[in-house]
Amino acid sequence: MFRTFDIVLICIMTAAATVTYTIKHKAENKLEEVRKLDAEILLEEHTIDLLRADWALLTQPARLNRLVKIYERDLQLAPTESTQLAQPMELPMPTAELPALEGEDGGKIAAKGGAKNTDKIATGSVAR
Amino acid sequence: MSFLSRIMDVKSKAHFSHGGNGRPAGATGATAFQGHRKRSASQARSRVAVVMACFGLAYCIVGGRLVQYGMTQPESVSSIGPADNLLASRPDIIDRNGEILATDIRTVSLYAEPHKIVDADEALERLQTVLPELDPRATYKKLTSNSRFQWLQRQLTPKQQSRILALGIPGVGFRPEKRRFYPSGSASAHIVGYVNIDNRGIAGMERYIDNQGLADLAAIGMTSDAKMEPVRLSIDLRVQSMLHDVLVNSMQKYEAEAAGGVILDVHTGEVLAMASVPDYDPNNPAESAKDGWLNRMSDGTFEMGSTFKTFTTAMALDSGKVKMTDSFDARYPIRIGGFTIKDFHGKRRVLTVPEIFRYSSNIGTAKMADIVGIPAQQEFLTRLGLLTKMQTELPEVKTPSQPREWKKINSITISFGHGVSTTPLQTAVAASALMNGGKYLPPTFLPRSGEEADAIAQAVVKQSTSDDMRYLMRVNAIEGSGKRALVPGFNVGGKTGTADKVVNGRYVKNGLNFNAFLSAFPIDDPQYVVLTFIDAPKTGEGGGRTAGLNAAPMVGEIIRRSAALLGVKPKFGEDGSALLVSY
Repeated sequence: MFRTFDIVLICIMTAAATVTYTIKHKAENKLEEVRKLDAEILLEEHTIDLLRADWALLTQPARLNRLVKIYERDLQLAPTESTQLAQPMELPMPTAELPALEGEDGGKIAAKGGAKNTDKIATGSVAR
Repeated sequence: MSFLSRIMDVKSKAHFSHGGNGRPAGATGATAFQGHRKRSASQARSRVAVVMACFGLAYCIVGGRLVQYGMTQPESVSSIGPADNLLASRPDIIDRNGEILATDIRTVSLYAEPHKIVDADEALERLQTVLPELDPRATYKKLTSNSRFQWLQRQLTPKQQSRILALGIPGVGFRPEKRRFYPSGSASAHIVGYVNIDNRGIAGMERYIDNQGLADLAAIGMTSDAKMEPVRLSIDLRVQSMLHDVLVNSMQKYEAEAAGGVILDVHTGEVLAMASVPDYDPNNPAESAKDGWLNRMSDGTFEMGSTFKTFTTAMALDSGKVKMTDSFDARYPIRIGGFTIKDFHGKRRVLTVPEIFRYSSNIGTAKMADIVGIPAQQEFLTRLGLLTKMQTELPEVKTPSQPREWKKINSITISFGHGVSTTPLQTAVAASALMNGGKYLPPTFLPRSGEEADAIAQAVVKQSTSDDMRYLMRVNAIEGSGKRALVPGFNVGGKTGTADKVVNGRYVKNGLNFNAFLSAFPIDDPQYVVLTFIDAPKTGEGGGRTAGLNAAPMVGEIIRRSAALLGVKPKFGEDGSALLVSY
């Protein structure tokens, strides 16, 4: 009885040792993987840093200005003058919202003979 | 241990006390009838039980603690390695929109261990395919030398590194290094500053960051590989590089010695852009010319000339002793202590306050200062921060100079900007206090919100004085010397200043000038103060060299190009010019 108990204990011990070793081995593998990933992440981060610096250099206003001057003939860019800026409220009313213009004979203001006071000059908008 | 040994001691004594001798009769007491053997056995059993209980308790405590430790969240700790100067990192510096002004880039340097090189000829040949600029003779000498370590090439690009790695040459290796990189180059040099070879801030905001504790961290090696939050500045890179461009062009066009400019937010005191030329390239500061190192905007003091009349007029109006409708006799020059104060654009008649400002009358301004009095003048200029050292983040700030004792002649000359030297930045800051309704805000290069600004603002002049000054600035820009600064829609107001330069301690007639233009826009509700100066210009628009012909057009160009970027909307029509009809 005593001997069988010993054998059982030895078996349990061996099994425990095996399991422990396997776990340790797996953990080491995982760690190795983590280290590899860490190194990869670090490399990526450094690359990102470098690319950001590169981007900052390439998008320098002074550089863009120089490029615009070099390729002036193709790009034909010009600075926006203050007189070219307007607020939405300063824009003229959209044509859809304009009050409808009523001519005497149902609309054609510019048509020949449409209005009595029109002069003799025929323009491009004359109705046929 | 002593407890255990005592038990063992007692036990062994009990063993030897079978005979019963050596034990006092009284100690046995009620158990006197038990045999010695039996008694000692039961005693030993109880002692063993006590020991077992003690051990059990101890193990329980240990086990309990282990479980407790197992349950707690692991704290991340690390040890501090030795400081490595090559890898000491600094936080990025970014502008208000997040554009990079300064960053660390990682480079690698190539070294060789000559004792490990198998074939120097082959190694050299293969290295040259990647690095054609490598000096063959010197490199061959290095590769065949008896030393154990030789630098071959410093600061390679990652692409070169990977190509050399792909060659697989034995005996060569790479060592990482960090290098500070300033993508904007000289455009923001005087604000951002630069670092030395050990990555320590030497000038500008780099030095400010070091003074905030980064230097101490670096000294104990805690910055070697830490990720740091970027430092955000109040600068707008687009406006900054535009301002720099205008200054460089103007300096060349007007054949000047130096030029400078600043754009200030009047409501928060933030510096949106500031530049001073000549300047240097922070990526390579050692190779720049010496005269580019001085930041003339904050570290140079100048007699600001007629722009100071803005402050004298504001002082006179704020004191209540002078009203906008008052007139002063400017017919005759003032003679005092051997000096004669004359007007440059002499009108030889009685002038009202707006006319004095518009014609930039020295006589009229001197008389206004005279009414206020010398102590009040001194106090007012100090209140506007024009006589004391300016408080800001930038380390390069020069203290203004003033006469040791203010006499009448000093008071008169100071009223039109001679006799006191201040920094141009300081002048712009004082002007912004006059424009924003009378709040003095120390300038800052870090972002500051409106609430933060209100918390530190000091009221220096009345609201009514501020309104009057805006009116005067607008009139002067439209009808006076500032015409060339006008930009349609942006309602620029400003004051020119043409100061004679002091050469060998004397003012030289028809010599060189220091020209400045102090302006604010849009003047009906000022958002920004723009100040430009140009030092010793030889020419200007149309040939003259007064401030209205070179400093004013610079402001005009700056505003035309930057106003939209600064979020100012152009206004046309009656509401823009409504201000002018109020007097």
